[in-house]
Amino acid sequence: MKLARSTLAPMLLAIGGLATLGITTQALAQDDEPAWAQGRPDSLQDAPMAPHAGKMTQTPKEELPLDHIRLPDGFNAEVWAHGMPGARMMALGDEGTLFLGTRSIGRVYAVMDNGDERETMTVANGLTQPNGVAFKDGSLYVAAINEVYRYDDIESHLADGNVPEPVELTDEFDLPDDEHHGWKFLAFGPDDRLYVPVGAPCNGCDVDADVHATIRSYEPDGTDMRIEARGVRNTVGFDFHPETGELWFTDNNQDWISQHIPSDELNRISESGEHFGFPACHANGFVDPERGSEGACDDITYPAALMGPHTAPLGMRFYQGDMFPDEYRNAMFIARHGSWNRTMNSGFDVKVAMISDDGDSASTSTFMDGFLDPRTNEFSGRPTDVQELPDGSLLVSDDQNGAVYRITYEAPDY
Amino acid sequence: MMQFGKQGWHLGRSALLALTVLGFVPAANGQAPAAGLPLEEQVEVCADCHGENGNSTTPEIPSLAGQPALTITNQMIYFRETLRNNDVMTPQAQGLSDAEIEALAAYYAKQPVSPAPDLSDLDSRRYEQGKTLAREMRCASCHRSDFSGNEQMPRLAGQREDYLIKAMKDYRERNRGGPDTTMIDILRDVSNEEIEALAHFLAHYESQSTSQ
Ligand code: HEC
Ligand code: HEC
Repeated sequence: MKLARSTLAPMLLAIGGLATLGITTQALAQDDEPAWAQGRPDSLQDAPMAPHAGKMTQTPKEELPLDHIRLPDGFNAEVWAHGMPGARMMALGDEGTLFLGTRSIGRVYAVMDNGDERETMTVANGLTQPNGVAFKDGSLYVAAINEVYRYDDIESHLADGNVPEPVELTDEFDLPDDEHHGWKFLAFGPDDRLYVPVGAPCNGCDVDADVHATIRSYEPDGTDMRIEARGVRNTVGFDFHPETGELWFTDNNQDWISQHIPSDELNRISESGEHFGFPACHANGFVDPERGSEGACDDITYPAALMGPHTAPLGMRFYQGDMFPDEYRNAMFIARHGSWNRTMNSGFDVKVAMISDDGDSASTSTFMDGFLDPRTNEFSGRPTDVQELPDGSLLVSDDQNGAVYRITYEAPDY
Repeated sequence: MMQFGKQGWHLGRSALLALTVLGFVPAANGQAPAAGLPLEEQVEVCADCHGENGNSTTPEIPSLAGQPALTITNQMIYFRETLRNNDVMTPQAQGLSDAEIEALAAYYAKQPVSPAPDLSDLDSRRYEQGKTLAREMRCASCHRSDFSGNEQMPRLAGQREDYLIKAMKDYRERNRGGPDTTMIDILRDVSNEEIEALAHFLAHYESQSTSQ
């Protein structure tokens, strides 16, 4: 089912208005620009906007921004694990080992929880952006650009102090090897298939709708590929509704069109293969100034919620635990990594999204913030992914500090 | 597309398991001669190749003096993690801890760049050609207007000309490795002649500030 299209006409008009606002929308079609600068208009050549450099070294525990974190009453944050530069997407093993992927530093980490203490270790290194990690039937799956590995029986090997030799599945999955938006997210569906996004290899460009800007699913061995969603520019986080099994995902929209549009997205797949708009139609009916024309938003599925321009919603999970109050059940926690393509920073927080009664849309609200200081425009941490633990507490990873925080709840006595 | 050189660096994948409580030792491909030594002795090891105070006198070995600390830190980590591949330098970074790397980076960032570049071989036509290219290609927007470097963007002013040429060709041929693809995109269609002119200009550029 699609959401209403009534916003289409006003959005088309808005494009004409951009020029009057002094924002030029023509892209410089230069081949020798770095990937992130593709589409940057001439007028912004010297604007101080470029992706934030990640930190490649350990941040000591006492320097972590724990006391910046703000949460609703009753919630509390603690440092759960640290000393893992670039730690990003999380997957939980059956025995309680937490696995984390990274980008630049090329490592995969494991954290073993021994009650009061955590042991952290590097289980793989030297990979190209191994961002995607997933766990199924005792095996850890790791997706880098472009390599896929499976580590069988990993938790029992770790308990014996070694890492199993991985089974390479790169040829079986046969994924494109573009660097740009080529880093992967991984998750198993309720159908036991492995879901893998293939981002658009650009800021904005025409793509083959059956190859790029897709979410695919595979049998765990890499066979039987299906396209589950098209027109998805760059999703780095999804999860399956605990009751309906529907796939909900975040999506990061185009840079350089404006600091204020288009908004990033939270989406829901109701029918396998449906189209979410990239590259011609963004967010809720914003027609791309270069690649869109009238009708570009026909037959496009609009987001279930808008997540704010350039805020970079990444990892998300449905909450199924008992620890938090009832209203959080089946709500989504969404980590917003934070913007670089705005002069006023925004994001750097965790949102909670609650689904409407008809199941089509969601409303969002801030759950955790404090990393962004609006007075100085500086940030002290970058939430990257969320992961529920069996006791119902919630882990939040921060790739800027290589740390994982744990959020717990106790009813306040008032 | 070529994979960022994993050739010869297969330790990746299943790194030696390093198990320590709240921290870890990076996977080691043997230990570098400098690993575990006090800083004063470490910099003597580095000086064998990179010169006294990090001002190199050896072809194709870069000067480290006056590089931004983050540049040195990041490049050392790329070597240690076998993401940047060089038969000579990659082994020199194995087993160095994050703290050791940060201390080395802080040390070299503070070292003065050898004064006035050697102007005896200055070719003013090539210098001007390089200067024009650098302006057209906006090198200064990242490397600073005096090319002294900034954060993860290396100092270019006063760097050895032969090393600048090698570094730029390595990016273009995708031989350098490392996760930052910025320079690969920038140098994609740049000719040898243009690279040589850029290097000639930058090597002879007299930076106002020697360090930051
Ligand atoms: C045996 C010779 C040798 C020794 C010893 C050595 N290096 Fe190097 N280093 C090199 C070479 C050669 C390169 C250039 C690599 C290339 O061309 O990619 C290099 C490159 C580097 C770079 C990259 C600089 C840039 O501009 O990208 C850094 C940083 C560095 N070395 C630091 C060190 C430090 C710190 C030490 C001491 C712990 C050290 N090196 C010891 C040979 C050496
Ligand atoms: C968009 C920012 C940007 C621009 C523009 C840019 N650079 Fe770079 N440059 C970088 C970054 C980032 C690195 C470090 C990349 C890495 O980790 O390998 C770098 C590295 C280099 C190096 C390697 C130096 C060393 O010590 O190893 C050279 C040489 C270089 N740039 C030359 C140039 C020249 C010449 C231009 C203009 C033609 C230019 N750069 C334009 C960002 C930029």
